[in-house]
Amino acid sequence: MADKLRTQQQLESLQNKYVGTGHSDTTKHEWTANIARDSYASYQGHPPLLHYMAIGMGMPMEKVRMHCMEKMVLPCGPAPRAED
Amino acid sequence: MANIQQTQAFYGLTLEPPSAPTASVLCNVIPGLKAGDQQIFEARGQRIALHRISENADRTERKFTTVLEQDVFGIVRGVATSRIPGTSTDQLIISSDSGRIALLTYDHDKNQFRRTHLETYGKSGVRRVIPGHYLASDSRGRCVMLGSVEKNKVVYMLHRDSDGQIIISSPHEANQWQSLCFALCALDTGWESPIFAALEVEYTESEGDPTGDAFERREKQLVYYTVDMGLNHVVKTWSDTVDYTANMLFGVPGGQDGPSGVLVCAEDRIYYRHDKHPTLCVPIPRRQGKTEDANRKRCIVAGCLHLAKTRHEFFFLLQTEDGDVFKLTISLEVDDQGRQTANPERMTLKYYDTFPVARQMLLHKKGFLYIAAENGNSQLYHIDDLADDPEFEPHNTFTSDDVPTEPEEEYEPNYFQPRELKMTHLAIDIPGLHPLMKTRVENLTSEDAPQIYAVQGTGNKSQFKTIRHGLDVEVIISNSMGNVPYDNIWTFKHRASDEHHRYLLLSSSYGDITIACSLGDSVEQIENSPFLENRATVHAQQMGDSTLVQVHARGIRSILESGAQNEWQVPSGTVVAASANDRQLLLALSTAELAFFFMGDDGILNQLEEMPEMSGKVTALSVGRTPRGRQQARYAVVGCDDCTIRVMSIELDSPLESRSVQALSAIPTSLEVVEMLDPASHTTVSIVHIGLQSGLYLRAVIDETTGELGDVRTKFLGTRAPRLCPVEVNNEECVIACSSRPWLGYNHPQTNLYTVTPLINEPIEAARSFITPDLSGLCAIQGSSLLIFQIPSIEGRLSHSSIDLSYTPRGMARHPHFPLWYTVQSDANALSKATRNQLRGGSIDENEEATALEKHLGLPRGTSHWASCIQVVDPVYYNKVISSVELDENEAALCCACVPFASRDYEVFLAVGTGQHMALDNKTTPKGYVHIYRLHENGTKLELVHKTQFDNPIYALLPFNGRLALGVANELFIYDIGMKALLRKSRGAAVPNQIVSLESQGNRIVCGDVSDSVTYVVYKPKFNRMIPFVDDVVQRWTTTTTMVDYETTAGGDKFGNLWIVRCPEQPSQEADEEGAGGYIMNERSYLNGAPYRLDLRAHYYTQDIPMSMQRTALVAGGQEVLFWSGLQGTLGMLVPFVTRDDVEFFTGLEQQMRAEAPPLAGRDHLMYRSYYVPVKGVIDGDLCERFMLLSYDSKQKISAELDRSVKEIEKKVQEMRTRVAF
Repeated sequence: MADKLRTQQQLESLQNKYVGTGHSDTTKHEWTANIARDSYASYQGHPPLLHYMAIGMGMPMEKVRMHCMEKMVLPCGPAPRAED
Repeated sequence: MANIQQTQAFYGLTLEPPSAPTASVLCNVIPGLKAGDQQIFEARGQRIALHRISENADRTERKFTTVLEQDVFGIVRGVATSRIPGTSTDQLIISSDSGRIALLTYDHDKNQFRRTHLETYGKSGVRRVIPGHYLASDSRGRCVMLGSVEKNKVVYMLHRDSDGQIIISSPHEANQWQSLCFALCALDTGWESPIFAALEVEYTESEGDPTGDAFERREKQLVYYTVDMGLNHVVKTWSDTVDYTANMLFGVPGGQDGPSGVLVCAEDRIYYRHDKHPTLCVPIPRRQGKTEDANRKRCIVAGCLHLAKTRHEFFFLLQTEDGDVFKLTISLEVDDQGRQTANPERMTLKYYDTFPVARQMLLHKKGFLYIAAENGNSQLYHIDDLADDPEFEPHNTFTSDDVPTEPEEEYEPNYFQPRELKMTHLAIDIPGLHPLMKTRVENLTSEDAPQIYAVQGTGNKSQFKTIRHGLDVEVIISNSMGNVPYDNIWTFKHRASDEHHRYLLLSSSYGDITIACSLGDSVEQIENSPFLENRATVHAQQMGDSTLVQVHARGIRSILESGAQNEWQVPSGTVVAASANDRQLLLALSTAELAFFFMGDDGILNQLEEMPEMSGKVTALSVGRTPRGRQQARYAVVGCDDCTIRVMSIELDSPLESRSVQALSAIPTSLEVVEMLDPASHTTVSIVHIGLQSGLYLRAVIDETTGELGDVRTKFLGTRAPRLCPVEVNNEECVIACSSRPWLGYNHPQTNLYTVTPLINEPIEAARSFITPDLSGLCAIQGSSLLIFQIPSIEGRLSHSSIDLSYTPRGMARHPHFPLWYTVQSDANALSKATRNQLRGGSIDENEEATALEKHLGLPRGTSHWASCIQVVDPVYYNKVISSVELDENEAALCCACVPFASRDYEVFLAVGTGQHMALDNKTTPKGYVHIYRLHENGTKLELVHKTQFDNPIYALLPFNGRLALGVANELFIYDIGMKALLRKSRGAAVPNQIVSLESQGNRIVCGDVSDSVTYVVYKPKFNRMIPFVDDVVQRWTTTTTMVDYETTAGGDKFGNLWIVRCPEQPSQEADEEGAGGYIMNERSYLNGAPYRLDLRAHYYTQDIPMSMQRTALVAGGQEVLFWSGLQGTLGMLVPFVTRDDVEFFTGLEQQMRAEAPPLAGRDHLMYRSYYVPVKGVIDGDLCERFMLLSYDSKQKISAELDRSVKEIEKKVQEMRTRVAF
């Protein structure tokens, strides 16, 4: 029993520390949104990648960065209604 | 050793580091300089660099020099500086992907960065919640904040203890769950508690609400985080809603200097916000003009602050996405008694100038504006005017008066008239290659080494570049000296104490004549000169105090200052070689005898009676220069036709005694002993430079005491035996080697290594220093002309020549027979030429002024519009764009290929793949076309034959066995040319998503997929079928591929990896089996892919995105390498190892280097090179080359571990580069 509790606590601390750590009730929407946010963060964080996209889109890098940031708010649209 | 590669290994080297700036900041890190003499600290890719701007006394000449550049083997994301109170220099702060904050200082004496602190705060890698994306440092140097895009922020406090040591606190976190940070800046609060301002959006509600209402109602907050220095914690002290489109923050000066607070830059508006003052707002002016969309809103993409601390005045320069820079000033309220209060009253925005879009703008205190350009060369502008005059251009001045400060309220947009540069002028154009779209190595000019042809840049500032390895030469005078070809030249002074050269002698062995000229204000031939003119000169020099010595085939003529002439006749034979210094003269006679002379104080040459005979005919000899403070040089070097050189003592007590012998691979034709500075030990050493008949150039060090030769380095220079000439460039001893092209050997100012670089010039016979009162440079003889030239800079190693293009280049193809390139160019969100002309009501091609203005301001923008054209470029003869074809109907050219169609007797046509109505949203369905152009007038004119429509944009074209192979979405087609359209011959699904690259050898086609690596397809002509037979297990977002051999493909992907994959033997053989009964046609698909899988042979993370790859040799006589070029301007290569020994050695060295010189920013080197996939089969040459820069102790340690001497390791590391490249 103690073991189970400890596992639970460890999981919770991980979930606190690292956004996106899953749990047994992770929905598909949560998961995809999390992946999408990770991707958008990565696009901005790697300067060559941002540059590549900026050239393709014909925009300055700062604007593409804003697009990525904005997409992170709700990357996959609103969550579906919970089924009762 | 366990980790020895079983297969081919490569040595990864960077030829040219990336030039795209990530972040830059002004700093004062060199002690002893004035505060105004700021340096620029810049991050470019994985490198950090410290630049300086130096001016001459009257401020007419400026130089932008790189003081130090270092590879940190990590992704540098931000740089900042901090001046901790009470310290004399700035601390440099780097945020990188190491999950650590690195504090550096610059050690001026050793010219290196020294790490003062390295504190870990999170995981390594670029992650969503690990701080490092944003970096802000308090203006008073008390603390630094690092932020991530989501949730985390961490603050470090910095202070100084009583010993002057910098102390960094433990991290203080200010985390906000489910909140995104859009921008971060430090507020200027004077000496009150430091505050950091952030733009944040919380997404908790939006995500929880299934209706989407909460998402519609989302808000952006401006949040103040106050760092309590006393209580040692960070608290959120204030937050307020701001315009949702806000994207940038700038801290407004506070304390005594201003009102404090922040500028919040949003779309179309700039706000002033602070918790203590009312809000101000000013709209961002929009451009006026017929081609401008009056409703388009701009946002600010870069900016900088200027603060005059003594006068408490400040202003901002803010740049919009178009590149227009506005000067923003804040005027403060004046109270009843006429005193200035701290309440801001009005913001004024004045159009300043238009510059290239910057990643970072820096206002240098010496009156320069540094634009770290996002695309193209970074630039340094000299500021002529600060636009202080309110009367100037009132129509371009706008204020915040009567502008509503609520984001929802309506306001009148402002319009301004953009113009040419008026306030500034370009001072220095700093060469850069980013964004490098495509490169191709070809030898179109039949030079020794191939050239690199590149398309580079964006918009109408794009360029076609020819890049050569070499130093640019500035020819000042080129004067024909008659029709006799001369072969040697000398310049010398009249007296030893003179500053300038007085005489110039030209000699021709063909005409057997000598011409003597005097140097002064001009070069004039001397009538009745004391020199012997009807014979060729072997050597001429000024010796002693004021004796002029001319050696000719029959003897020596020495001219004393009094005018008296002494002649010495050769007893038998002729003089074949001669060399002299201030006191000593050594001759070689055709009888293989040596004659040695010593000049006494009276200026008379005394011959040594003994005339020793050499083992063979003497071909070259050299006497070392008289070392400073001594009467005579110790050694002379004599080369004979038995392929040896001998070091001989020429001191008077042991004259012409042989000290050592060195055997060579060919006959030495030219020898020079030069005293050069050894950069490693900072002492002068005697170095003998040797030119061999085979075109090899050798360099060896003479041991001062024993006369032994050691540390021999070799380089192949060209097909002609090099003639060596010692010269002085930049006040340093250098050597010019004249082979089939001229080369300069010098100590590179940055790397401190002896470097041999070609000069971009026609071949020359001989060169000498040329020092006159007006000019100090070099002179040379080129056939029958005299050349006087300078070498402007020895810093870079590449020379560029460029041709302007119209739009962002997307592809290039070479004409198979003529030295012509076809480039396809297209720009997203830009108005096409037809649209522009229609809006303007006419073309501006004839109007030079308007064309220049359009070029300066950039292309007019239009959402979902494409501007595109095809241009023919001749980089060899005309050096310009010869013809161009504009595309219309919103088409964008994406790729091109020259295709010889078998059905038309292999007539070459140009095929161009395009996309139509391409847009970011998925609402429109884009179409594709393939245009076929007939080539007229040797390929210079294009005539459209027909165009064929496809369902998708075409990204890849390939001439394939006399037909055209093309990729449409995931299908591969083979087409033949028809009368009205292309005719489909074969079709087959090849890849999962989208074909972006095609390569072929024989009937094998390698298709690169946009996100799924490469698939090998075999074409069966008999059955007209295409069968994909092998694909990859890793999803690689391919950007470029090239077939290294029939089985192997090398490629790059969008995440910055280089990889080499190979088809296993069995499927490769099966695929080529004759007939349809072949196994491969009936093979079943394996796991939804092709029947077989590729093997990964090499993988390497480069950080920069590879855009082109090619298997090619880069230097004359060099082995083939895999050359690649990256988007950010990197040129690099993978060199295949030839022997197992080398692999073992470099593996060992790399391991030792990882331990001995760990990366500066704290990233683990092995982890960095294994960023996405574990590094395989590639040894990091850039790391190995850092061996040269290690301290003596570290070098010794590594050399002991590897069981090799330090010199041996250095030689091996250097030769790895020089053998195959530059």
